[in-house]
Amino acid sequence: MSMETGQHAEGVGHVEHPPTTIRQYVMIGVVLTVITALELAASYMDLGALLIPLLLIMSAIKFAIVVALFMHLRFDSPLLARLFVFGLFLAIFLMVAVLLIFGNDDSRRAGEAGEAAASAVASVGALI
Amino acid sequence: MATTPQTMHHTTTGIDNRKLLMWIFLANECLFFGSLIATYLIFKGEPMPGPLADDVLNIPVTSASTFVLLMSSLAMVLAVYGAHHARPGMMKVWLLATILLGLTFLGFQVYEFRHFAHEYHLGLSTNQFGAAFYVMTGFHGTHVGVGVIYLASLLFASMRRNGLGRETGFHVETAGLYWHFVDIVWIVIFTVVYLIPA
Repeated sequence: MSMETGQHAEGVGHVEHPPTTIRQYVMIGVVLTVITALELAASYMDLGALLIPLLLIMSAIKFAIVVALFMHLRFDSPLLARLFVFGLFLAIFLMVAVLLIFGNDDSRRAGEAGEAAASAVASVGALI
Repeated sequence: MATTPQTMHHTTTGIDNRKLLMWIFLANECLFFGSLIATYLIFKGEPMPGPLADDVLNIPVTSASTFVLLMSSLAMVLAVYGAHHARPGMMKVWLLATILLGLTFLGFQVYEFRHFAHEYHLGLSTNQFGAAFYVMTGFHGTHVGVGVIYLASLLFASMRRNGLGRETGFHVETAGLYWHFVDIVWIVIFTVVYLIPA
């Protein structure tokens, strides 16, 4: 493969090492600790319906900080980001699907009703 | 400031295949842990014989272990910094720190599991909460254990005459990706299992 059609190892979207300094890494660590402390504090407060969205948002922020800055995805090839985000969205889709199918009594009863209907149809078909 | 020379082979993506493999593996692990967390969520808040989450979970102790794992991520990124900037002493010190913090986290997990089993008689087959909780956190703990072995092998290899060779930065960075992933999985588990009420 020629150099024009192939991509050289160091060419596209590759960073020798990220530009983050030691001080910046320590600051990021402090920020993560503060967010964790805020999550903990929030869990003890009576926030009602706000609690769960707030906790999810804070954990999503921590997740994004570690992935972007500690795992250096922000400085690396976009292909890697696309790969990881694809897997992440697939996982979220899977979780939502599982929770919708099995997540509450109504859905389980609906599933059981569906199975009963299917076996009834099969029985009638066998008789015919 | 010296940089670590890259000895990477030609690839059509411009990315080292080993690094690509690690990211694909981590994307796959998202699905793995996603399914375990979803299974836990199905049973969260459902009526069942005890003991239940509210009876056994100790938020302050788990917050401490969460902080330990968070700090291990910081230690790991400093080890990667040392590896990339040709500072082997810094790399080894922070690799050791990461290993020790990882072992501390595992110690917290062992304490928690033993406490649940002995004080509350919560086992794998006690109820759906026990099964989902132990499988999910057990697999996470296993990943932490594998990570500790991975990092320890890197640390021992770095003590050889040639250390980790010309790709020191690459090897430590790749290990760092795995370790940070283990941390972000715990970020999700800590929020979903311990902080969000049933």
